[in-house]
Amino acid sequence: MIPINDFLVLSAILFSLGMYGVLARRSAVLILMSVELMLQAVSINFITFAVYLSPEQFTGVIFALFVITVAAAEVGLALAIILRLYRNKQTANVDEADIMKW
Amino acid sequence: MTDVIRLGPELALLIAAGLIVLMDIALPVSREAARTKRALGFALALAGVAGSIGWSAVLIAADEQGEAFSGTLVVDDFSLFFNFLLAGITGMIVLASADLLARTRFHAEYLALVLASATGMMLMAGAVDLIAIFVALELQSICLYVLVGFLKDSRSAEASLKYLLLGAVSTALTLYGMAYLFGLSGATGLRDIAEFVSASGGDSGTRAALVLATVFLAAGLGFKMAVVPFQMWVPDVYQGAPTPVTAYLSVASKAAGFAVVMRIFLVALGEGLISSDWATMFAVIAAVSMTAGNLMALVQTDIKRMLGYSSIAQAGTFLIGLAAVAAQDPQLLLGASSVVFFLGAYAFTNLGAFIAVIAISQKIASDEIADYAGVAKRSPWLAAGLAACLISLTGIPPTAGFIAKVYVFNAAVQADLVWLALIGVLNGVVSAYYYLRVVLNMYAQEPASEETFQPSLSLGVAMAIAVAGMFLIGIYPNPLIQASESAAAVFG
Amino acid sequence: MLPEWGQVGFLLLLALLFPIGGIGFSWLLGRLGIRPERPDRVKEDTYECGVETEGTAWVQFNFRYYYFALLFVIFDVEAVFLYPWAVSPQRLAVAGFVEVLTFVAILFIGLAYAWRKKALEWL
Repeated sequence: MIPINDFLVLSAILFSLGMYGVLARRSAVLILMSVELMLQAVSINFITFAVYLSPEQFTGVIFALFVITVAAAEVGLALAIILRLYRNKQTANVDEADIMKW
Repeated sequence: MTDVIRLGPELALLIAAGLIVLMDIALPVSREAARTKRALGFALALAGVAGSIGWSAVLIAADEQGEAFSGTLVVDDFSLFFNFLLAGITGMIVLASADLLARTRFHAEYLALVLASATGMMLMAGAVDLIAIFVALELQSICLYVLVGFLKDSRSAEASLKYLLLGAVSTALTLYGMAYLFGLSGATGLRDIAEFVSASGGDSGTRAALVLATVFLAAGLGFKMAVVPFQMWVPDVYQGAPTPVTAYLSVASKAAGFAVVMRIFLVALGEGLISSDWATMFAVIAAVSMTAGNLMALVQTDIKRMLGYSSIAQAGTFLIGLAAVAAQDPQLLLGASSVVFFLGAYAFTNLGAFIAVIAISQKIASDEIADYAGVAKRSPWLAAGLAACLISLTGIPPTAGFIAKVYVFNAAVQADLVWLALIGVLNGVVSAYYYLRVVLNMYAQEPASEETFQPSLSLGVAMAIAVAGMFLIGIYPNPLIQASESAAAVFG
Repeated sequence: MLPEWGQVGFLLLLALLFPIGGIGFSWLLGRLGIRPERPDRVKEDTYECGVETEGTAWVQFNFRYYYFALLFVIFDVEAVFLYPWAVSPQRLAVAGFVEVLTFVAILFIGLAYAWRKKALEWL
């Protein structure tokens, strides 16, 4: 059996990579992909905990299912909004979306 | 069947939303039909809200309280309080959206999304299981992302994109915290997690992991509550969104966010050892939010942005109540009930302010504070209403805002957080400057034109309800105080 | 740990060996002069199921594909909730069946909406 820590570290690394992507990327599509990476890292966590800590229950797996479906809905919506922004401004870069500034 | 009965208030809204969409599909596409559709959608939405409120009242009358759907949802005084509050806010928002709906083709979509997100918010207040909380949060958020981007201009799209990307990140952060809570305790029910925390929270390794999970949860939910340092989306989104949606965001979404935070932190992580950690964290966030929000609001020229920053400051004030929650039971109840009371009082005040802004801004075709010059001469009633709401936001008697602030500061002082209460009072003084500047602008300056104007009927009704409620709470606060005390007693 | 992953590792090795072996053998035959080498335009062309290629791959896709992709993603992913019910419909009894029916009905409203708003048509 692989130690549980390996999975948790994997998930933490994926989560951090996603966070880095969110902070460093300019294109809205790439930011979206980074967010997906973060969400999948969380899914890995849930499934790991479900398998290692309470294999007789499926709570963690079901949680992961909900994460996946919600992520799909969010991506669909985000792409629609990016498309709208692209039609208005001919760009999908977030730092060019700067009509409003403080 | 008990499950479905207890879910009634949410179901009423959801069914209304479904019927509105079905009605939109069923009726033919034409100019005449569009008018019928709008009227019918409007009626259905208000009927849904009325049904929801009525069902909540029936639940109270029948004393139908307890868990539903195998312990994922709960009907108690806390969730019932928020059912009334959120349904009321939704009804007001529907009324306030009438003018917006007259200018768009997508009536059915707008109303259905408002109702669906209201369903999500009610579920947020009633959910006691991490999975249910997550799904409710997302139901609310995803509907709001669409609503923020509802207008055709690029400002609205930009606001929506910013809100969505940051919201998605906050979801991921919340989930990461939830994953660790689940991993540590092996359960998703808040009560089960609470049992685990009180049984083994003293163990140093477990405690470190719990604190980590708490920080992630607080960061993720901080976005929903709009507190510093997770506030950067607020001004842009508030400015870009259609004004009724801005009002909805600042009142309903914030109330639901605080409801979730109180459920998670007071129920699952309320055990003394852990709560002493997050109480300090919330105290610091509260102080920073109030100060930063107010200082930024001072320099704003756009009224929606100004109200956005002021709502950050208000969120900081709510957090004082949460920070005041200490290990001892009586204080816990005082802190919690002060937050619940503040949310109720703030709802009327802020709704009134935003509805006035909707009515005034669409007539003078500008959101700039400078263009509000002399509005008092052009539309005395609207100006008086807006002025009253701004005075309430400042916290001057005899308004709801005054009682709410006294209540919260009292809770802080009782919990030995005198410094926090002092910062709160100082911030109240700072905020008076920018609130009263708008009032002065409306009354002391000369208007740009002499043409007078009146709000539309539904806006006027919504405005009247909001201002009347605000003064009622300010003069006779006892019923709301009792309601919020019994709501907070759930955590006792 | 190693024995469990050994099988996967063996499969990985085999999977790598197969294409590398083929390409390497062909290259070797070419070097030895056994394999003839007469390149022409058709042979050098990108292989695409035998159809002649046209232009580059970097073209902008018609965004109408987006509607279909979006609808597919949503409905495809939502179907995942049917599996937990499908594996134990007896145990979940009538209540489970009603819940699944409700779920499908809500999805159907969404589909009907998309249909009515002409998102399913290639305009």
